[in-house]
Amino acid sequence: MKTFFSIIKYDYLHRTRSYSFLITLCISLAIAYTFVPEPDASYSTIRIADYVGYYNSAWFGYVTAIMTSIFLSLVGFYLVNSAIKTDTVTRIGQITASTRITNFRYLLSKALSNFLLLVTIVVIVFLMSILLFFLYNDGYSFDISQFIIPYLIIPIPAIFCISILAVVFEVVFTKYTVIQNIGFFFLFSYLAFPSLSENSSNMYEFDLFGTQIVMHQMEESVRNLLETGDDKGLTIGYVLGNTGETKNFKFEGVNFPISFIISRILWCVSGCLLLLLLSPIFHRFDIKQLVKKKQLFSSEKQKTTVHEIELSKLKKSTHNYGIYSLVKTELLLFIRKGKRWLWILNCIGFILLAVLPISIAHTIVLPILWFLQVHRLSDISSKEIYHDVQYFAFTSYKPLRRLLLSQLLAGIVIMLILALPLLIKSVFVMDIQSFIHIIVGAIFIVLLAITSGIVTKGKKLFEIVFFMITYGNLNKIPFLDYFGGLQHSSSYVLTLTLLTIIMAGIGVGMRIQQIKNQ
Amino acid sequence: MKLEIKNVSKRYSRNKYGLKDFSMTIDKGILGLLGPNGAGKSTLLKMIATVSKPTEGMIILNKNNILKDANYIRKQLGFLPQDFGVYPNLNAFEFLQYIAALKGIADKEIQFKIEQLLNGLNLLDAAKKPIGSYSGGMKQRIGIAQALLNDPKIIIFDEPTVGLDPEERVRFRNLISDLAQDCIVILSSHIVSDIDTIADQVAVLKNGSLLSYSNQEKLIDRIDQKVFEVAINKEHLDNFKNNNIVISTSRKEDKIAVRYISESPIDGSVSQTANLEDAYLYLTKTN
Repeated sequence: MKTFFSIIKYDYLHRTRSYSFLITLCISLAIAYTFVPEPDASYSTIRIADYVGYYNSAWFGYVTAIMTSIFLSLVGFYLVNSAIKTDTVTRIGQITASTRITNFRYLLSKALSNFLLLVTIVVIVFLMSILLFFLYNDGYSFDISQFIIPYLIIPIPAIFCISILAVVFEVVFTKYTVIQNIGFFFLFSYLAFPSLSENSSNMYEFDLFGTQIVMHQMEESVRNLLETGDDKGLTIGYVLGNTGETKNFKFEGVNFPISFIISRILWCVSGCLLLLLLSPIFHRFDIKQLVKKKQLFSSEKQKTTVHEIELSKLKKSTHNYGIYSLVKTELLLFIRKGKRWLWILNCIGFILLAVLPISIAHTIVLPILWFLQVHRLSDISSKEIYHDVQYFAFTSYKPLRRLLLSQLLAGIVIMLILALPLLIKSVFVMDIQSFIHIIVGAIFIVLLAITSGIVTKGKKLFEIVFFMITYGNLNKIPFLDYFGGLQHSSSYVLTLTLLTIIMAGIGVGMRIQQIKNQ
Repeated sequence: MKLEIKNVSKRYSRNKYGLKDFSMTIDKGILGLLGPNGAGKSTLLKMIATVSKPTEGMIILNKNNILKDANYIRKQLGFLPQDFGVYPNLNAFEFLQYIAALKGIADKEIQFKIEQLLNGLNLLDAAKKPIGSYSGGMKQRIGIAQALLNDPKIIIFDEPTVGLDPEERVRFRNLISDLAQDCIVILSSHIVSDIDTIADQVAVLKNGSLLSYSNQEKLIDRIDQKVFEVAINKEHLDNFKNNNIVISTSRKEDKIAVRYISESPIDGSVSQTANLEDAYLYLTKTN
């Protein structure tokens, strides 16, 4: 048992002491701040027709709990889905594998460590929600139970299951990080959409995120107020400009039925059982098994005749400080990244861009096709550090001007090649705005990847942000539309361009500091 | 070719130094750096390689301050770090082409040179296989190859023999001797035998300071006539270690043979010829 708790404790400490976790906490705080809009804000998060709740304890507690459940289920997976991989990379896994700990206990310890990490964020958001209550206080009394109960029943079981799912994905798709990332994206979409739209009360128990029962109760409250049987058209998520004519209703929380509470516990127990079922197939850091197809080369096998370097016969080098060769290699690294069959998906996306109507191709296929490159883009500027090549890269001739530029160019080239059918179609229909927007979008997303990588020296932040942006794109949230799929004014492209330039400035500035302060 | 390190310090926190007020002038030839873990060897090498910047002092190469113009040394530098990685999806050819591009070497002319280097390092047969499938020794040789791509005038090898088998070590030592004909070669190692056969100058570091910088003969002269060997009973060993500078011990029938340094040897001691390892251990244990 000591090993079990030690793994949880030190894994948690290791991960929370990382720079990327600090940034994630800051972002979580910033997002939590927006969960309950200021009284005069121009956006809404939860709204039933023209109604939002009075700013009492119940409204704050339940709204922030719902938003936390959805937000953390969405990004939490990407935040914690490398617990086992980290042990493989650091080779701690091999030491762990040589101890007496069982596969199940190891996997459970990883899931619990994931859970603790996400709970830390929940606690931060929880405290922020209480702070917001006092900031926007409408004269209602503070009732701590209206905060604790929804948080315990809604997001806590949800993130527990997400923590387990992250481990399950790592066990099942050990070598296929890209399948883990993209697979969860679709799984989340599948789980989220029914839970937001389904009103049948017997579905509450099947709602992983636990939000449906609360939203249904809110709708009921408004329906009673209006004394009509209409469906009130609840909106959830960040919606801009629908705050005119806002009316208020009193929301006093939910009396959770015992069956629902039991279902939340059952979700957690089922997750643990799933881990138990999968534990026999866990690789337990058997590296040979992981690399069996690669067939390690040993120098003994290769030796035929032994040679030595004859310095006098070595060809003299001449200098060429262009970046063509660097761009070529960066492109090669892009192409080689991930499994070859993933290019089949890219080809399908490419063909769909060419054959589908331009509106569908632009609003649905393009963001998905670009999101499929998340694993290629995410380490574009941090792979030197990840692969320990930074000593070569940063001591090269003018690394900033040459290497960073070549990474940017290679990234943009890949994204634009993938978008080529749409670009050609835009030219044919004389839609120059879309044409420009796609190009700016490609530059924007590559620069976002580069800057995130430079700032965090890792790839997690970009993966999470890109996931959120793409999710927003598919839900047609206007301010997340970086590639011009929706109708915008011409100033929107300019704003995006400005944002891109600012981001480039931050990225370059941080990389200069990084090189200086090594 | 002259590299001057003037009053260089690397401070990590208020009282924690990686290197403290370090000065040294290095001329053409092989400089061997010796020192225990945490002595500051890698810190010094990283600063010369422009990977890291000192918090105080200057590093001057041929009258050029490389802290102000890092690209001056980068153009003529070959650096093999202690811990380095590779892009596992690239093969040896592609990886070396990439490093060549980073160093600013013409693309067309580098092909032949890469082939020559890979052949000389016995990697040509595996050159088209992903480096991710290479053994540790093969990766180390890739590291050596990349350091030589740009005809460097300053070559820095930080623990270069890690992972190399005995034959490869001998070949590597030969290579370094050849390189030193018209270059500055700085070689850091924990293994004294890697350095004593080839280094023209030896620098011994401890706790971020320079304990000694001279040629091997002068260094060994410090303990000339002070190295002895004696056989003692096992139960006396701990007490003996407390009172003498013990270099090494080995089992000899029912006793322990102890090699030690002393100005007043005990009875039964036999004088031994001093070597670099004795001098190094004497310096690090008495300072």
